[in-house]
Amino acid sequence: MAYLSLTGLSKQFGQTIAVEHFNLEIERGELVSFLGPSGCGKTTTLRMIAGFEYPTTGQIVLDGVDITHLPPNRRHIGMVFQSYALFPNLTVAENIAFGLKIARRPLEEIRKTVQEMLDLIHLSDYGNRYPYQLSGGQQQRVALARALAIHPRVLLLDEPLSALDAKIRVELREEIRRIQQTLGITAVYVTHDQEEALSLSDRVVVMNAGHIEQAGTPFEVYNYPKTRFVASFIGQLNLLPVQVSDPARGVVLFKNTPIQVELTAPLAGVSEATLALRPEELNLGEVPGRNHLRGKVLDVMFLGAIVRVRVDLQGHEALADLFNERQMSLPRVGEEVTLNFPPHACWIIHE
Amino acid sequence: MSQGPSIPLRQRLLSWFFLFLGALYFFLPLIATLEFSLRAKKGVLSFLAYERVLRDPKFVQAFTFSLEMALLTVIVGVILVVPTAYWIRLRLPQLRPIVEFITLIPFVVPAIVLVFGLIRVFSRPPLLLTNSETGTQILLVAGYVVLVLPYLYRAVDTGLQALDIRTLTEAAQSLGADWWTIITRIIFPNLRSAILSGAFLTITIVMGELTMASFLVGLRAFGPYMSQVGQNRAYEGAALAVISFMLTWAFTTLFQFVGRRALGGDQTFVAR
Repeated sequence: MAYLSLTGLSKQFGQTIAVEHFNLEIERGELVSFLGPSGCGKTTTLRMIAGFEYPTTGQIVLDGVDITHLPPNRRHIGMVFQSYALFPNLTVAENIAFGLKIARRPLEEIRKTVQEMLDLIHLSDYGNRYPYQLSGGQQQRVALARALAIHPRVLLLDEPLSALDAKIRVELREEIRRIQQTLGITAVYVTHDQEEALSLSDRVVVMNAGHIEQAGTPFEVYNYPKTRFVASFIGQLNLLPVQVSDPARGVVLFKNTPIQVELTAPLAGVSEATLALRPEELNLGEVPGRNHLRGKVLDVMFLGAIVRVRVDLQGHEALADLFNERQMSLPRVGEEVTLNFPPHACWIIHE
Repeated sequence: MSQGPSIPLRQRLLSWFFLFLGALYFFLPLIATLEFSLRAKKGVLSFLAYERVLRDPKFVQAFTFSLEMALLTVIVGVILVVPTAYWIRLRLPQLRPIVEFITLIPFVVPAIVLVFGLIRVFSRPPLLLTNSETGTQILLVAGYVVLVLPYLYRAVDTGLQALDIRTLTEAAQSLGADWWTIITRIIFPNLRSAILSGAFLTITIVMGELTMASFLVGLRAFGPYMSQVGQNRAYEGAALAVISFMLTWAFTTLFQFVGRRALGGDQTFVAR
């Protein structure tokens, strides 16, 4: 049995259903992130694990014990909040010691743990400062240390980086992952930022409108999205309307141009469908054995490592992400270009 | 862009004039009272009236009594108001308008009505309280708590507004804290300056309160004592007024000082 299992979880606020039919098993030491747009139920689910909300139906079992109706202060689950939530009247060290003092740990142990935690977050000399004397990033590190000091059974992080600026966000995200792996702690991370979710999770749970759309490794979720929502929510995606012409061999037509698709699901009985294609799978020029689409360049965005070309394919826009090279000649606006991509790069969505 | 100095002279003079006018309105009666209080001895300025007031044992008694009542009122009021205001903000926000209305009742119902109500209800069994000293003091404190509710509640509520109490509460809960710990270790300390300002207002109001004190404890309280002295002995009355003014100011300064020093946490309000 999994370390933390959520079974048939649902939550209703009055008439609104925030979460429904939520089933998930989380293994010990795993970092799972809940990814989705705001209002998708990811925070509500996290708050049910924390005990701040009680589920309308369903069960939460942690380490073999049903904790569904246990009050939050008896769950031994650490939580990091978007707004840091440090106690303004306590110093950094006192904040970190708070949970240990409540647990009535011996003073010597508290002192030692606090110092360990301060070292862990690289704020060894900041113990005597007050939260208002720290930057946002430092405050969030302290909040992390405070949550970890009690050696929680699970660490919950509710959009912990959303209030920080871009550079700190990336730094701290790597640090969270490092600490989580060092301590081998089980963590659930809520975010609406796909890059964050993909880069630090063992598994990503994509949520929409209160239910799970797909759960899998970042690689799976990005490359093999199971639903249209997942496909379009994670990463950029080109969607082209196509007619199925040969369902058996996987040939579809886009404005009379045949496209070979590697079949993953049968197409029999389907006439209209959508072809999905990641921009980074598209290249310029003609290559034998690949699919080709002709179009007109609408604009060219130089993003550094990537050159993003927007192409008009007979009334449908598509993006092509090309890797930057020094010898490369950038396509010009208005130029006619040919885009190529292999059959295995695209897939058919029909719902 | 023009900076401070280029504000037209006329406008600046006008501002100073109005400030002066305001100061005059405030200080003139005070100065007059002070001047008058020093004339107890014919022809010369002296502190005779002050000597007489301070030497009167009744002054010290009345003052201490009212101060005690004031402190009790603060304690009872804070214990009542802080958890209530906290809980309403945390869990029952829909009740806020109702509670706010209730706290405003002392502005609508005069103290005289309140004190008659108290006497009527508590002067007969089973709630007979008016026949003993302790009983009347309990009634007095209870009445004062109601009287200072608008000030105390508002001060505490404003303090709570500046804190993200929901998240702080949840953070404390996730660290294992129960309600008692949350209220005593997180909510109270972070509200210290709000509570202090509420307490200060409470003390000022109670020290000068006349109506309730007259009916429940009479001359034992400072308000009725001041009023009696003022009626019977003009110079001493003026001296008393000046003394109580000074004490009020001393309190303000003291609280400001204590409030600033004793607080780590409240400084966040400034930092924000």
